[in-house]
Amino acid sequence: MAVITLDQVEVHYADFHALKGVTLEIGGGTVGLLGPNGAGKSTLMKTLLGFNRASRGTLTMFGMSMPRQALEVRQRLGYMPEREVVSTTVSAVSFLCYCGELFGMNRIDALERTHEVLNYVGLGESRYRKMETYSTGMLQRVKLAQALVHDPELLLLDEPTNGLDPDGRIEMLDVIKEVAARRGVTVILSSHLLPDVQHVCERVIMMKGGMVVRDGKVSDLTASLEAQYELGLREGVDTFQEVLRGKGCAVRVRHDGKLVVTVPEGADERLLFESALGSGHQIRHFARAKHSLEEVFLDALGAKMGV
Amino acid sequence: MPVYKRTYRNYDGAYVPRFRWWLVVKQEFRVLGKYRIFLALMLVAQLHTLVRFLQILAYDVIMQDPNNILTPLLSQVDFIVVNQRMFYEYVQLQAPLLLVFMLYAGSGMICNDFRNNLMEVYFSKPIRWRDYVAGKLLALILLGLSITALPAVILVVLHNILLPSWELLQASWWWPLSLLAFSLLLVVPCALATLASSALLRSQGFAAVSVFMVLSINSSMGVILARLLYNRDYLLVSFPATLYRLGQELFDVPGYRFQSDWRWSMAFVAVVCVVSLAAIVRTVRRAEIAA
Repeated sequence: MAVITLDQVEVHYADFHALKGVTLEIGGGTVGLLGPNGAGKSTLMKTLLGFNRASRGTLTMFGMSMPRQALEVRQRLGYMPEREVVSTTVSAVSFLCYCGELFGMNRIDALERTHEVLNYVGLGESRYRKMETYSTGMLQRVKLAQALVHDPELLLLDEPTNGLDPDGRIEMLDVIKEVAARRGVTVILSSHLLPDVQHVCERVIMMKGGMVVRDGKVSDLTASLEAQYELGLREGVDTFQEVLRGKGCAVRVRHDGKLVVTVPEGADERLLFESALGSGHQIRHFARAKHSLEEVFLDALGAKMGV
Repeated sequence: MPVYKRTYRNYDGAYVPRFRWWLVVKQEFRVLGKYRIFLALMLVAQLHTLVRFLQILAYDVIMQDPNNILTPLLSQVDFIVVNQRMFYEYVQLQAPLLLVFMLYAGSGMICNDFRNNLMEVYFSKPIRWRDYVAGKLLALILLGLSITALPAVILVVLHNILLPSWELLQASWWWPLSLLAFSLLLVVPCALATLASSALLRSQGFAAVSVFMVLSINSSMGVILARLLYNRDYLLVSFPATLYRLGQELFDVPGYRFQSDWRWSMAFVAVVCVVSLAAIVRTVRRAEIAA
């Protein structure tokens, strides 16, 4: 059974059309929501939480209708918001324990889980300090911990690496990856940072202007391309481009100076080596070309924008 | 779980569906209990109770004994008599302190949650805006009653224990009800107005100052109108005067501040409560249901 099913979901904020007929099915695993600012990622997250009511379409989570059964659904999910969360008056232990109680745990269980989860996210030493004294990285960990305290089946993470330094970012992504590897846990990670999504997610959903513009497994989207190759030359990039074009190849130069060559139909990599041999060029790097997620993303956005 | 393994266990305990609003109430008390100022205010609030306790002791024990040397002296003091007026005045004198309590405890209750982005976190859990509002409101009401009705009712019980008689019981059985009603009349609008201010403004300081200013201006308006127009009925405009008028009605204390029908005063209180509640509901509901 799918964890989340959206069918032609539309969400409006007054006159603004924030989600435009989104249809999705998420069965499990780690899913990345990618898109530029204003693409509708956060709106989608909030719709999944029941904060936004769909003006059209249906949304079911764990087989339950949203937002009618929002409380039952929220019992089974954890949400890490994008914005900084800080409770100025209490420690992380007190805050998390309260969150656990809100999920329906008794106080003793909530306290036990609080210590366990704070240790897990790496806040063991600082858990009794008031949250207002925490650094941004520590507050990010508290946000993750409060989402994990009740052992959720679905984890919604909105920009989890916001404001983190490079080391903190990698640590946070590794923790998310670990959580995602647990049996029966589905993670939805919303981000505008492609490397974050690529590091953690198996599937990626790209959004633009409130619509899903591309949806697929990361491995499929970045699969090797049949007739496209990457070439690195010792020198003479410009002259070799001309040679290849003369033989019917499509050639472009990548930002790192490598050539991406699409050979004509019926030809294969031998054409490239023969051309190099014939023109006296030295090939230093050769690989089958792959789409980077960035290219796929830009392509998806461009395609939808009619570029 | 081995100590070297950094992980967390699956939770196999039960999620008990409970009154979520009660959790909000408990959390508010936990947080307030951490502040020394709050505890000090609590102590100050009970000083008045201590004075009234001594008054009851003096009246019930000393003045009932004709042989006590202090009896003739105490008989000269009018206000030592323990009757319904004494309890009315007890609650009335607690009112300014009640306002301080409400502003201290309530003005940050909602705005701090908004400012610290906690609303999103709370409403991502199985809690409704109704539970949230009910919890915050109940916490303030209980707090208010703890310095008005609760000690007053204890004093009534003490009075009846120290001076047991059928006549006294007959005369005083309704005092606890009046105390509760008068205390609620003071506490509920004050709690609602403070929470409304907290919901509408984004700073605890602004919220507290706003309530205080509105109340001060409103009181002054009533007095100014009554003096300028030579008609004490205009005191109805003053919210505190309105509340005290209702208190006098509840305790059957003569010497009304103004003669307008008590129903007008009740309507004024109801309007303040409804408007405040509407402001709270509108703001908090929007935090859970954005679109």
